[in-house]
Amino acid sequence: MIELKDVSKIYRTGSQSLEALRRISLLIGRGEFVSVMGPSGSGKSTLMNIVGCLDTPTAGDYVLDGEMVAGLTFDELAAVRNRKIGFVFQNFNLLPYASAWENVELPMLFDGKNARRRRERVAELLNAVGLYDWREHRPTELSGGQQQRVALARALANDPPILLADEPTGNLDSKSGEEIMAILGELWKGGRTIVMVTHDDRIALHSERVIRLFDGQVVA
Amino acid sequence: MNLTLPRFFWSEYRKRRKRAALITFALFWGTLSILLLMAFGQGMSTQARVAFQGLGETLIMVNGGQTSLPFEGLPKGRTIRLYPEDVDYLRERIPEILRIVPESDNFWQVSANGKEINRTVHGTTAGFAVMRTQVPQLGGRFLNAEDDRKGRKVAFIGWKVAADLFGTNGAVGRTIVINRVPFTVVGVLQKKIQDSMYNGPDAEHIYLPFLAFRQIDNQRYLDRIHIQPREASQSPLIEDRVKTLLGRKRRFDPADRYATSFWNTIEDFKQGQAIFKGIEVFLGIMGALTLLIGAVGVTNLMYAAAKERTKEIGIKLALGARRRTIVGQFLLETLFVFAKGTFWGLLLAFDIVHLVRLAPINYDSFGIEAYLLRPDFSLRTFLVYMAVLGTLCFLSGIFPALRASRANPIESLRHE
Repeated sequence: MIELKDVSKIYRTGSQSLEALRRISLLIGRGEFVSVMGPSGSGKSTLMNIVGCLDTPTAGDYVLDGEMVAGLTFDELAAVRNRKIGFVFQNFNLLPYASAWENVELPMLFDGKNARRRRERVAELLNAVGLYDWREHRPTELSGGQQQRVALARALANDPPILLADEPTGNLDSKSGEEIMAILGELWKGGRTIVMVTHDDRIALHSERVIRLFDGQVVA
Repeated sequence: MNLTLPRFFWSEYRKRRKRAALITFALFWGTLSILLLMAFGQGMSTQARVAFQGLGETLIMVNGGQTSLPFEGLPKGRTIRLYPEDVDYLRERIPEILRIVPESDNFWQVSANGKEINRTVHGTTAGFAVMRTQVPQLGGRFLNAEDDRKGRKVAFIGWKVAADLFGTNGAVGRTIVINRVPFTVVGVLQKKIQDSMYNGPDAEHIYLPFLAFRQIDNQRYLDRIHIQPREASQSPLIEDRVKTLLGRKRRFDPADRYATSFWNTIEDFKQGQAIFKGIEVFLGIMGALTLLIGAVGVTNLMYAAAKERTKEIGIKLALGARRRTIVGQFLLETLFVFAKGTFWGLLLAFDIVHLVRLAPINYDSFGIEAYLLRPDFSLRTFLVYMAVLGTLCFLSGIFPALRASRANPIESLRHE
């Protein structure tokens, strides 16, 4: 499903260069639940950005669902992000002006889905995360846990096979964190591939496998 | 682009419209100021032309004079006069003449309705009406060919003469006595603005058929001859021919500048037009510069809006928005703001122009208000304005939009 071969990422600023990832190779199979752990600066976010097609490797190959990502254009990468990957961010990243309904609807709008399909899918997802009654509320009117549930519903809008969660419980209290992990667990059981960055060993216990990074390399 | 996206962008724009209020106001104010500037400029230009037409737009007035050069043994200092027969003499010999009429005048006592006034009275023929913009008020007429031929005792009077003698009661059909001879009023001059004149404005004058005038006047010669050329461009040629022909007839040097004098309104009009054109060009440049400043302002505000929305753009890119979607949203928002600002600016400008035009002009004391109170809101000006502003708005929207669409999604997401 996700295959990285000798992937390196080097950031250059003037004469300085920083090697964030060093010849990383890893394979994540369909339906796996993987946690990525490591100290700050170990390359977790860079790895997630590359896996999430938000960034491209400096060297090496990335094959996603059988498709070579390296050669894709900006808009082709956008299409991959839209249909194949759902993002859940630590700080939710919801549009502040839009209602919960509109936030969930957005990826489907970008995909050009018709109004009826969007309506049905948004209602289904907001019901699934228990926020249908809050559909007209803006993010500022929702609690952290509710916001993250909206973000989860949004990530699932186009029914992507892969879910990338970057510290999904990092900004939540423990109860809300558990609720989110319970939803992720159910999604995994439903056959979705989940890659999650976390600092928290207890949260990582929800996953099948842990990939540990240190100084841009996989150490375990 | 899917039609649902613009609807979503519209909903986003509505939620953010308070933030766009500054740009909307800038466009509203710019539209209002520039359209008013153009309307008043156009109005002044139009009124200046109308005022000029008050005398006559394509007119050569020929007057007699005094020779300043000796000619064929005759001394200088001889008085040269024009006579009624000169009209036919010139008409027959200068084919470029479209109309030619004689004019004589005298200052007489005029009485009617128990009132007595002193006014300049002219004797002329029917063609004078067209040449000197003598438009009668409703229910009346100017002198006609029959009046000329039969020497009818009829009169066409200026509106001030009518007011002085008859007040607000109708003057047409009433009798006025000029130099002890009764005349029937057949028409009253419609109010007009007139910036060029001789012996005062037409509003205060009385016009009689030439034959009737001569029956009560002792003067045998004419005060002036009015000539209208077939083509305005032929006026210098006609002047030369008139000098040559009259010089031959009255024996003076055609090169003698003082033997006859000419008032050529065609040349005056050309100079006037150059001034009007200059005013229009100046206002156009002012408008264009104002628009340019406005466009720079809008661009700045759009850039600021794009920067403020960096994170939002990052989120949309992460969720799969394509570049054209981001560009499309920014351009649509520019269009919304543009449409709203210009609509209200246009509406208010239109209302102001309409209201100002309702203000009455004092035709009795022709002043600056005659130029200022008739702003002219032409469709052409509006279309040019919309085309220029639309282009500037598109340019001021496209660059921030392109910059926003080229944002790095990761850096945009990190933006706070």
